[in-house]
Amino acid sequence: MLTCQEVLDNLSCYLDGEGSEELRRELERHIARCAQCFVIVDTTKQSLRIIADCEPFEVPLATSARLYERLAHFFAGLL
Amino acid sequence: MPNRKYSFSPAQDEDGPLVERTLEGDRQAYEQLVRKHEKRVFRTTIAILGELADAEEAMQETFLKAYQNLHTFRRDARFTTWLTRIAVNESLQILRRRRDTAALDDPETAPQNLRPHRVEEWYANPERHYAAAELKRIVEEAIRALPPTYRVVLLLRDVEELSTEETAAALGLSIPATKSRVLRARLMVREALAAYFEKPPTLRSRLRRATSMVRNMMAMALERPGGWFGGR
Repeated sequence: MLTCQEVLDNLSCYLDGEGSEELRRELERHIARCAQCFVIVDTTKQSLRIIADCEPFEVPLATSARLYERLAHFFAGLL
Repeated sequence: MPNRKYSFSPAQDEDGPLVERTLEGDRQAYEQLVRKHEKRVFRTTIAILGELADAEEAMQETFLKAYQNLHTFRRDARFTTWLTRIAVNESLQILRRRRDTAALDDPETAPQNLRPHRVEEWYANPERHYAAAELKRIVEEAIRALPPTYRVVLLLRDVEELSTEETAAALGLSIPATKSRVLRARLMVREALAAYFEKPPTLRSRLRRATSMVRNMMAMALERPGGWFGGR
């Protein structure tokens, strides 16, 4: 049986669906028995879903506008 | 299981045709590339620099440099990886101007202890407890609290969904270094979000944790040959 530390070390493998079948089975087995690791794996997975869904750090409109202005200015200088 | 070795052929780059047209002098093609990639470039520069004004400057420089150097783009990676690499370098240059040193592998910013502290369960669909704008603020705050190298790794890997290999290439880090940063970033951000999403501890949850800890130790001791309870 894997230790809690080993589960933590291999957390990304598990979340990204990487690693060998055997490792994944071992991880599943540990998580099924260990309430603490279950919470850590489950809440890390939820964290990543929430982060991706809320599209953090979008380009502010004014920042975007100034980018196109600068590019237009640059291209005009090339003419 | 697919072969996860990094292999890339230019035909796989969906931006290939726009890159070609830009090189032929088509500026609208370049504008399309900018529109498509400004989000990713901005996330990269804001992650490294933290300040909007700096991130904006780095983004502008990135798109100007990319245009001027497009002829040097060897198609051994996707355009977006090449572009992100430029964004990283532009950001680091600005950072260097502001501080004495700036590197993404600064060991001093690496938190030593990975052990999670918050281990209470979360509410089901915890994001529904907050309005969208509030949720976004919480998430951005949690990411801002990470050291820059972890911020950028998390945004590239888990928001922009670059592969580990592409994230490593964009940041100029080795694959093992990238993997270890991704893991730490994920655990750190989980810890920060737990403050908002976890249920308050109950006597039952504490008991369940203690029981599972004991059961776990017993199981490991029994399974381990020559384990904790003496020799074979």
